[in-house]
Amino acid sequence: MLPMSVPLIDYVALSSVIFFIGVAGVLVRRNPLIVLMSIELMFNAANLLFMAFARAWGNNAGHIFAFLVITVAAAEAAIGLAIVVTVFRTARHVDVDDVSLMKG
Amino acid sequence: MHYQMGNSGSYPLLLLLWLLPLAGAIVIWAFGPQLKRLAGALGSAVVGASFVATLLSWHDGTQSVAGAGANLVGAHQALVSWLPGFDFGLLLDPLSLLWVCIITGVGFLIHVYSIGYMYDDKAFARFFAFLNFFVFAMLTLVLSDNFVGLLVGWGLVGLASYFLIGFWFEKPSAVAAARKAFVINVAGDVGIMFAIFMIVASVHSIAFGDVFGNVGSLSTPWLLAICICLFIGAAAKSAQVPLHTWLPDAMEGPTPVSALIHAATMVTAGVYLVARCAPLWSQNADAQLLVGIIGGITALAGAILGCAQWDIKRILAYSTMSQIGYMIMGVGVGAYEGGVAHFFTHAFFKAQLFLGSGLIIHALANEQDVRRMGGLMKKLPFAFVAMLVGVLAICGIPGFSGSFSKDAVIYGTLQHGHPILYAIGILTAGLTAYYMFRLLFVTFFGSYRGDVDPSDLGIRHPELAGTAHAAHDDHHGEHHAPAWLMNVPVGILIVPSIFAGWLLFGGEHSPWAQFFAQQFPHPTLPTPAISELTTTLIVLACVAVGIGVAYARYATAAAQADAVERLRGESVRMPALLTNAFYFDAALDLLFVRTSQLFGTIFGRLIDPQIIDGAVRETAFSAQWLGTLVRSFQTGLVRAYAFVLVIGVACFLVYYAVISGGLH
Repeated sequence: MLPMSVPLIDYVALSSVIFFIGVAGVLVRRNPLIVLMSIELMFNAANLLFMAFARAWGNNAGHIFAFLVITVAAAEAAIGLAIVVTVFRTARHVDVDDVSLMKG
Repeated sequence: MHYQMGNSGSYPLLLLLWLLPLAGAIVIWAFGPQLKRLAGALGSAVVGASFVATLLSWHDGTQSVAGAGANLVGAHQALVSWLPGFDFGLLLDPLSLLWVCIITGVGFLIHVYSIGYMYDDKAFARFFAFLNFFVFAMLTLVLSDNFVGLLVGWGLVGLASYFLIGFWFEKPSAVAAARKAFVINVAGDVGIMFAIFMIVASVHSIAFGDVFGNVGSLSTPWLLAICICLFIGAAAKSAQVPLHTWLPDAMEGPTPVSALIHAATMVTAGVYLVARCAPLWSQNADAQLLVGIIGGITALAGAILGCAQWDIKRILAYSTMSQIGYMIMGVGVGAYEGGVAHFFTHAFFKAQLFLGSGLIIHALANEQDVRRMGGLMKKLPFAFVAMLVGVLAICGIPGFSGSFSKDAVIYGTLQHGHPILYAIGILTAGLTAYYMFRLLFVTFFGSYRGDVDPSDLGIRHPELAGTAHAAHDDHHGEHHAPAWLMNVPVGILIVPSIFAGWLLFGGEHSPWAQFFAQQFPHPTLPTPAISELTTTLIVLACVAVGIGVAYARYATAAAQADAVERLRGESVRMPALLTNAFYFDAALDLLFVRTSQLFGTIFGRLIDPQIIDGAVRETAFSAQWLGTLVRSFQTGLVRAYAFVLVIGVACFLVYYAVISGGLH
């Protein structure tokens, strides 16, 4: 393990906090834009962990995974925003609880 | 172990005589509209050619070649080999040769007769296609060298019979009769099928030779079961009690059909089967007794019912049933030569009787009720001669063919130790004389009664009693003479009707006994107490009584004078037991039709809606219930799904972190 100026446990703690903020945002907010932003928070929490552990163990695989996650996040944002726009066009407002056509 | 039957070789004539009628049927069926009247000539020609080929094959069929063990009698032509033990081929030995001669010879005459009889029918070509098809089916039946081939022919013959009984399918009664004949015949087919199952299970072969050669290895009850199953088939086809009820109804078909199928050939298939399987029956006394008793009962029942009929064709139908009873009784008790001889002579004189009655029916514009005939001797002299010869032959008047064969059967029953069947045979002979002379006297003696009101003659339902549309027919009373096409075959048949029986003259040294010397088992029999000559005299005495009674009732001057009154009286006083034919129809109806209907009702009302449909309904209901249950989880609330997801992930985390001891 390489020496680090900030201890690894701090990165893990910060990442956990950001991740659970994201989870809470997805679960409690009804505006889809906020939900998408919360999902981004969770992605970035994961990225932060990748970076921290890659640095700590001197293994570049973590960096590569971070780029991969950023790519997936970009694609997810594109599709998510497209869905939001489509829903807004048909319903004239956006609320994730109102999008319940698949209710059994 | 394999046993050969017949001298194997290549016999193109045998194939030719077998396949010609099939070719005729196909060509006539395909080109009927183009052939028009030629269809009759073509149909007759192929059967005639088949008959010539049969005569040319005579030497092949009667040859006797030394083989391993016994002599190989007749010709064997291999056709197709299938699984081991399932080889198909043709066998022409004296027994099948005799049948083929009758089928093609008498068949040819009836074909020619049909050209005249069916001349005005709008389905002229179809009739000959069916007739040729029947001849082919019957040849398949008697030429097969194995049980499966025999069953195929057996079924095809039933089908041809169905087509021809229902030939005039615009008549509901003809359709009903055809259906009835077919159903009863199929019941018989099933019997033979089960016999084949049992044979294959024990002998592992369907060839006659193998089965007869290995008969010693079968246990007695097993052999009895095989014989009974075979006889169910024989009884259905040969109209034996209690499966005889289709035969009188089958008279709905055109008269040549009655002559060819329901008198001369098809109905004797049962006799052929028992005679063919003589090695089986000879090994089992119980089976012999059963067949003999059924034959005796049929002979007697047919004769009694023949006395109570008014429809000329139904009288002949019951007499056919009675005569086949004789044959079955003969081959049943072991008097094979006698039983087969009665088939031979009966084919001639019964065909002649039917064709003679066809002359009358044709001349009287489809009138079939003898009460509306009378005095036809002068108007139809040729028909009278034909009928007279037939009646004398069937009654067994000495010198005529029937006397030789009938006496052979009756004496055979005594020789083989069945005095009761002997008595039944003699009694039946007397009854036969009575009802046949009754037919002759009522039809040809006295004065013509066609213009008498049917109700004065005691005809209650003219449309049911075979009087058909005669009363309203434009041609009524106008007796157009039958064409030579119809007279010539009848004239030719007169010869064998008189002389065919002489082949039996001379006992063991007769041509007949020589012909079958190697065909049937010949056990040494004790000499019965009553000699053959005495038997003949007793039979003649009974016949004389029968004729006397018939004469007294129908032919004396007094009887002829008030014939109308007498016939009306007899019709009205006829016992219900006889007019209903001993209630056999009602009994079969109760036993099989009603029972089937009851089963149908039970299944239709209970089993099907409750159990079958119930199971289907329950499956549908449970699927629906499951769907309702699972649907309630689908809230459509995205955040709820996300929550469940988070809970799930949390559960995994807890599992790995706590229960399986950390994530490393």
